[in-house]
Amino acid sequence: MGAGSAPEMTTQQEQITRIRLSYTKGPSLRFTGHLDLQRLWERLLRRSGLPIRYSQGYNPRARLNLASALPLGVISEAEMLDFWMDEPLPTETVRQHLAENAPPGLNILKVTSISLKEKALQEQMSASEYRVSFFDPQPEDALTEKVAALLAAEQLPRVRRKKSYDLRPLILDLQVTRSDTGEIELWMRLNAEPGATGRPDEVLEELGFANTDYLACRTGLILKA
Amino acid sequence: MPETNQEALWRRAERILPTVTKPGRYVGGELNQVVKDWDKVRTHVALVFPDIYDLGQSNLGLMLLYDILNRRDDIAAERAFSPWLDMESALRENDIPLYSLESKRALADFNIIGVSLPYETLYTNFLNVLDLAHLPLRSAERDEAQPLIIAGGQSVYNPEPVAPFVDAFAIGEGEEIFLDVIDAYQAWQATGESKRELLATLATIPGIYVPSLYQVDYHPDGTIAEVRPTHPNAALPVLKRINAKLPPPLTRFLVPNVEVVQERVSVEIMRGCTRGCRFCHAGMVNRPIRERPMDEILAALKTGLDQTGYEEVSLLSLSSSDYSQIIPLINGLRELLQERQVNITLPSLRIESFTEDLMDELQSLTPGGGFTLAPEAGTERMRAIINKPISDEAFMSTVRSVFKHGWTSVKLYFMIGHPQETLEDVAAIAELCKAVLSEGRRIVGGRTRVHAGISTFIPKPHTPFQWVGFDSLESIRQKLDILHQGLHGAKVKMTWNDPESSLLESWLARGDRRLSDVIFKAWQNGARFDAWTDQFNLAHWQAAFNEVGLDPDFYSHRTRDLDETLPWEHINAGVKKAFLKKDYEWSLQGKTRPDCRGGCYGCGILSAFNELRLVAPDGGWKCP
Repeated sequence: MGAGSAPEMTTQQEQITRIRLSYTKGPSLRFTGHLDLQRLWERLLRRSGLPIRYSQGYNPRARLNLASALPLGVISEAEMLDFWMDEPLPTETVRQHLAENAPPGLNILKVTSISLKEKALQEQMSASEYRVSFFDPQPEDALTEKVAALLAAEQLPRVRRKKSYDLRPLILDLQVTRSDTGEIELWMRLNAEPGATGRPDEVLEELGFANTDYLACRTGLILKA
Repeated sequence: MPETNQEALWRRAERILPTVTKPGRYVGGELNQVVKDWDKVRTHVALVFPDIYDLGQSNLGLMLLYDILNRRDDIAAERAFSPWLDMESALRENDIPLYSLESKRALADFNIIGVSLPYETLYTNFLNVLDLAHLPLRSAERDEAQPLIIAGGQSVYNPEPVAPFVDAFAIGEGEEIFLDVIDAYQAWQATGESKRELLATLATIPGIYVPSLYQVDYHPDGTIAEVRPTHPNAALPVLKRINAKLPPPLTRFLVPNVEVVQERVSVEIMRGCTRGCRFCHAGMVNRPIRERPMDEILAALKTGLDQTGYEEVSLLSLSSSDYSQIIPLINGLRELLQERQVNITLPSLRIESFTEDLMDELQSLTPGGGFTLAPEAGTERMRAIINKPISDEAFMSTVRSVFKHGWTSVKLYFMIGHPQETLEDVAAIAELCKAVLSEGRRIVGGRTRVHAGISTFIPKPHTPFQWVGFDSLESIRQKLDILHQGLHGAKVKMTWNDPESSLLESWLARGDRRLSDVIFKAWQNGARFDAWTDQFNLAHWQAAFNEVGLDPDFYSHRTRDLDETLPWEHINAGVKKAFLKKDYEWSLQGKTRPDCRGGCYGCGILSAFNELRLVAPDGGWKCP
């Protein structure tokens, strides 16, 4: 590399901005899987007209990073995403451009600018929190009993994609709660580290519920400090 | 507040969704969908494409209508598609009617259901949609309180096989006709008259065919004696509807939340084709040729990209390289490509209209990818018969140019089963493929890829070959064997159509009204998704023919007498029977008919629509 080109590169590097944002995944996006969500975001970023940073090559793609795959059928109030821009812009401007171009069910919540040096979002993931509402009313006592029995278990051996694992240590917290309107619900916090992620449908299956019995909503992503 | 029927429907539907494959097909909610306040809209229209969402959502015709209808404040147009087999079972088991994706309303709640029938193998799915909507299948069994069923699309140029199921057909281009139907419907609603009155009124709209207002009489041999109007409003023949000028292209594309085919911004650059290939239904029924202005095309592509964020654009026409401004258009596309980082597909390039200039331009536009050519037949003799006259030398010269411009992969489309085809003509297809391969190896070396796509010729209504018999299954299989042997050991990839699927299409394409009973029985026997090779089951159809007592060969293999009254003759696609007959006779003599932009042959389109042409002098008509 020629001596003259080095400072120029540095200037350009300084312009690159990393944006971290949170957003909702509403009922109309309930069955949009992780790969489809990735494509949905690429198109949303294209539509936004923001100075999105693209990968090089024949098929340039927007550089973006989704925090943690949401199981199909689960909605969310707290998804997270990082993407990169070629130049800095006020976060409120970024939020507006994205909000105006978002599909139904995807609401942009919070937009921040973060250091380029931060670890990948997936690597920062620590835990996920879920709220589960039931289509049919649940008797509180019976559910409380089942939850207590599950939490009392030392091990919950299961098989996922032909691999054996123990679900129990992935359940960090599990409680019977009530909604604003008084219906019995479940609340849980599950481990979400790379390679050690608990899924709400697995916990509910252990409690004896089929995926047609409830609607789960991710209410929070917890990042490592 | 008590739960409405619609809320109850959706609450139950939501519970079955996690049990079916790809449930995202059944929820709607896409970017650019239109949801109106149900109670504030006067007329509700369900637009149905009777195949799964993954295919139907990309249908440009359906989305054009969706856009046009929803522009009117008093109309809400919503979408519905065929559920896949698992969803069909779940809907039936739970007694949930098929619902629209926008408002999640049962289809029976709509005033009008518009069904798109671009190809014949959707017919059983169409019946299944009506059944899943809890509607009687036959028009005569539906009353005023039930939705009016309108069907349109390329296959309804012969509406007869599905005539008893449809209240009214829209023949020709749908952009204007659907609004006329709605106006008539709204006026009829105010009168409180019977359904028959509505149908009689609809029959007065140009391009609308109401089959219940016609009586078909048959000769003892099963051929048609006469098609008689039974109502003074029923026109004979029904002339198709066309637009004097192509309306502005669609720019508001829905962006699906789950993967579908052809996720891209598509703009039709022209409609119609002047080449006159004798096998080609689209080339005959979509006349006259009308071009869109280049600026309008480029502006639509930009707006479409702005509104979707898609990574790809596609230009649609029957013959892109015949577009008069093709080079300037490609230059405009190149700018777009550089500005937006998108891919471009430009299908339907014709060998005859290739120039070195065009090849130079294309090379920079779509580098690397495959190049598709459609010689359709292996010998000059055969190509003269089907009126796609390209000399072997001209073809090979195009192929050389393709390789010299850097493409390494060539796809060639051929048909077998052409009228008057000999086994030598078929063997020549394999020889031609091998010649292309060896030219490729000489020019670009070992990276050369040649793919031969073989389909079977199916005689279609309103074409010069509408009288000829469909080849026998034995003969088609023999010809496929010849190709397999001819290409054995050569590095040419060959794909082909299932001959039995082609046979079904040959029955349906030229069927009469009696065939509707066969379609009904086949559906009862379990026929669904006949366009899907893994679902199509010929046995359902053979059993249906048996049960109804009709001879399938009568529809497929029989060569029609030139004076026979054909089942679709009361539908006028603008091209005269006398012209088709002459063209057929020319084919028997191996005589070709040149592109008619160089001189009019009086196919009939101008005499049928000359007044319309005068209305829109800027309509882009390319007739001389």
